[in-house]
Amino acid sequence: MHTLLYPFAAVIGQEHLKHALLLNAVNPRVGGVVVRGEKGTAKSTTVRALGELLQEKISGAPGGENRSLVVTLPLNATEDMVAGGIDFQCTMREGCRVFQPGLLAKADKGILYVDEVNLLDDHIVDIVLDAASSGENRVEREGISFSHPASFLLVGTMNPEEGELRPQLLDRFGLCVEVTAENDAAERVELMLRREQFDENRKGFIAFYRKENDRIAGKVRAARELLSAVRMPEHLRRFISELCRENNVAGHRADLVIEQAARANAAYKGRIVVEVDDITDVASLALAHRRRDAQPPPPPEEPESQPESESQKNRNPEERDEQSSSSEPEQFQETGEESRSDERSPENESEKNEGKRERQSDSREDETEESHGDASISEQVFDIGSSFKVRSISSPKDRVVRRGSGKRSRSRVSQKQGRYTKSTMRRGNNDIALDATLRAAAPFQRERENHNGMAVVLHEQDIREKIREKRLGNLLIFVVDASGSMGARGRMAASKGAIMSLLIDAYQKRDKLAMVSFRKNEAVVNLPVTSSVELAAKLLREMPVGGRTPFSAGLVKGYEIAHNHLMKEPEARPMVILVTDGKANKALGERKPLEEAYELSKKIAAEERIRFLVVDTEEPGLVNFGLARKFAVMLQAEYFKIDDLQADTLLNIVKDATS
Amino acid sequence: MKKQYTYPFTAIVGQEQMKLALVLNSINPTLSGVLIRGEKGTAKSTAVRALADILPEIDVVGGIPFNLSPDEDSDIIKECFEVSGEVLSEERERLSVEKRKVRVVELPVGATEDRVVGTLDLEHALKAGEKRIEPGLLASAHRGILYVDEVNLLDDHVVDVLLDSAAMGVNTIEREGVSFAHPSRFTLVGTMNPEEGELRPQLLDRFGLCVQIDGIRDAEERVMVMERRFLFEENPEAFCRRWADESEKLVEKIDMARRLYPSVSVSRENLLAIANYCLEVGVDGHRGDIIIMKTAKTLAAYDGRTEVGRDDIDKAAMFALPHRIRRQPLQDIVMDVGSMLKNKTSNLES
Repeated sequence: MHTLLYPFAAVIGQEHLKHALLLNAVNPRVGGVVVRGEKGTAKSTTVRALGELLQEKISGAPGGENRSLVVTLPLNATEDMVAGGIDFQCTMREGCRVFQPGLLAKADKGILYVDEVNLLDDHIVDIVLDAASSGENRVEREGISFSHPASFLLVGTMNPEEGELRPQLLDRFGLCVEVTAENDAAERVELMLRREQFDENRKGFIAFYRKENDRIAGKVRAARELLSAVRMPEHLRRFISELCRENNVAGHRADLVIEQAARANAAYKGRIVVEVDDITDVASLALAHRRRDAQPPPPPEEPESQPESESQKNRNPEERDEQSSSSEPEQFQETGEESRSDERSPENESEKNEGKRERQSDSREDETEESHGDASISEQVFDIGSSFKVRSISSPKDRVVRRGSGKRSRSRVSQKQGRYTKSTMRRGNNDIALDATLRAAAPFQRERENHNGMAVVLHEQDIREKIREKRLGNLLIFVVDASGSMGARGRMAASKGAIMSLLIDAYQKRDKLAMVSFRKNEAVVNLPVTSSVELAAKLLREMPVGGRTPFSAGLVKGYEIAHNHLMKEPEARPMVILVTDGKANKALGERKPLEEAYELSKKIAAEERIRFLVVDTEEPGLVNFGLARKFAVMLQAEYFKIDDLQADTLLNIVKDATS
Repeated sequence: MKKQYTYPFTAIVGQEQMKLALVLNSINPTLSGVLIRGEKGTAKSTAVRALADILPEIDVVGGIPFNLSPDEDSDIIKECFEVSGEVLSEERERLSVEKRKVRVVELPVGATEDRVVGTLDLEHALKAGEKRIEPGLLASAHRGILYVDEVNLLDDHVVDVLLDSAAMGVNTIEREGVSFAHPSRFTLVGTMNPEEGELRPQLLDRFGLCVQIDGIRDAEERVMVMERRFLFEENPEAFCRRWADESEKLVEKIDMARRLYPSVSVSRENLLAIANYCLEVGVDGHRGDIIIMKTAKTLAAYDGRTEVGRDDIDKAAMFALPHRIRRQPLQDIVMDVGSMLKNKTSNLES
């Protein structure tokens, strides 16, 4: 479909992005781009404009002249439309199965564009990845066995605020570009003016930039022809591998990508020998999302491009202000380094090694999982757990927490809600997938007797049902001990820090929250079940401390909330997180507080649908009561001491439990 | 059928900010919508529904439910006819063109995805054995207003779809054996109660303007609200007739502003001021700048001027910035941009 798009040449700034896209246009083997950045920074605009640019001029590619080179993969695509399936209309007419190509076939030799790629459903991601890596799409479904070439560029855009991409998927993208808003007021003015001109008169605006657009397209075309002649001198190959080694890159993809990108860069500049500049020009784009070390890259003679290292992506908003997109690379780097050492210098050494090992085993797992193929796809729930960076709890507002937590727990849903993703022959809930049913019935239409005047005769065995997926947020119930004993020595501050980290994570997973605090004589529901994480954060900040410890009351309140929630949503798996030192000294009834609390714990533990987590805040000293641990045993809960409570460990546990 | 009367827009008491934001959007649809934040029972929905009455008429291609403009690319029109199973005569002249009011299409919170994006026409598939598309809400909302009550409670996967098409102005259907795309540019109007959870940042940014409304505090005005409501319910016809004049006036004013808009200019100085606002206040991306400029121009046009003044910019920033100012994670949205701006302005001027 042809719409009037904002022209590529008219995009202001975003030089890295444009550069990365053009490199891919010249040399498809660069392997695609993922564009990360805050909202409203011309991410989508630029990518779409590239499609337009290529469509106009480089349509000589096989597969027809007017075929659009950019194929958009919408987030709600169903599996049969991505991979391809039976065309029921033709199949009915012909009486034998006719294959209808899916998006992957359309994207062959072109660009497959996914907006908000981090929100794409897992099983679609798997199909796309599978095709992207093998250059071929194999369809084994609905009684057809078919394969066709599918070599395409994967271009994705994402806003990290909405959750991260799986590392496995991230690595598949050749280049990664981080975009930010323009900081220069004059440029911003120019940007406003152009946008307004464009909105007022689209055709005129496009015509105005046609010449410049054509020039770029011409350059790309020339570079494409030149590409096969471009030579890579041997010593530069070594330079590339050196570069990758120093950056501690995972796997070998980075080396290959840099080589291809450098060749494209040389071709684009009209040279047939790759020079050092070509490599330094592109290296940062290829290394940005693969770098695992905190070290900044070795800048030989640093060119203008210096995108983000992984930890820089997670920098605070304040730092983002200081950063300028293309000027001042020196200063920019310094900022990044500072923030890094601020954040994590203490744990740096031990973590580095550990993290590496974990990452490696992780990626291996992913790979094997993937090779199992389509059959098991929708059952997979990906565990991102161990790829976490360790961070200190004292800076809970830091964004590091968000790494890798992009996947909410998903589950099949039995109600007729959620996204229809694929179909099944198994009957269960009368949620009929009409399209799949028709496809199943289509090949037999010629043989079947037609009684009722309908064009299609459906038999019982044709019926297919929809499988729907829905992201299920979980219910997290925080039961916080706010008694006097918690106020000592910053215990409460530490606890709050930990809770805050969980809150940020809960936001991304769209979890529901509730908060109970107990102090003095009673337990209070500070926050009834809500999805407003903001409210929870505010309440947490204001939570007062002092008084006795009515432990039983808190336990009961937390249980009540979980239980009530289960009445409404029997499939939910609420989790109660007890933050306490366990020194119960106020009972509900006449018995001794501790005895009563133990008794209650045992009873409550019988409810298997509710999970418990105990965070022990008792200060290690000469006399340890270990009461919280006892409670944990009785509740059959996971147990933690607040001192070994690195945010990520707690987060991982919650993740494991809720996935 | 008895005619359904909607409560006239002009008869709504107070809530000037919200009314203005809606009017601005009907003058200039490229403002891309309003997010109305506030408690229940503050005439949010009434205002949006009433807006339909003061919206202009547009030309649409008849015979298909896609609300296409006759100026649309002929390929697209042809394609839309094809998927609807209609035949389009060869000559473009015979395209039937209808005049119709801009529509307000409501997206219920419980809407399923297939109803939103469109899906396979079940009846036709069974009867004729052919694929045909049953267009969804996004098709009806093209060139109109898409109204989502309680937008923060919308299912995540429906939000994804909205984001997709709001970004591109195109709705792409790739599901249930149907592969098709049609234009879908709409003004997104959403209401929400912040206590029930925030919006996702990506969706938040898609709303051009943002207004916060509260219940009216003034007793006199509250009485007026009750009186008018009572009169309307007693005899809607008479009530609407009584307000017809006012409505007419507003429609004319909007119409005039719409014609004036292209000739409104902004001085470079003022543009710089906008850019500096956004830089100093700290806004993600560039949409803030663009929206402030457009809003300021629309305000000037609504006021009958062709030159954007400083006041327009201040006012526009109040609408365009609250939901865009960069926040710490989990921080509340600050609605009081005014104070922030005043500081900035004095800094700039000194």
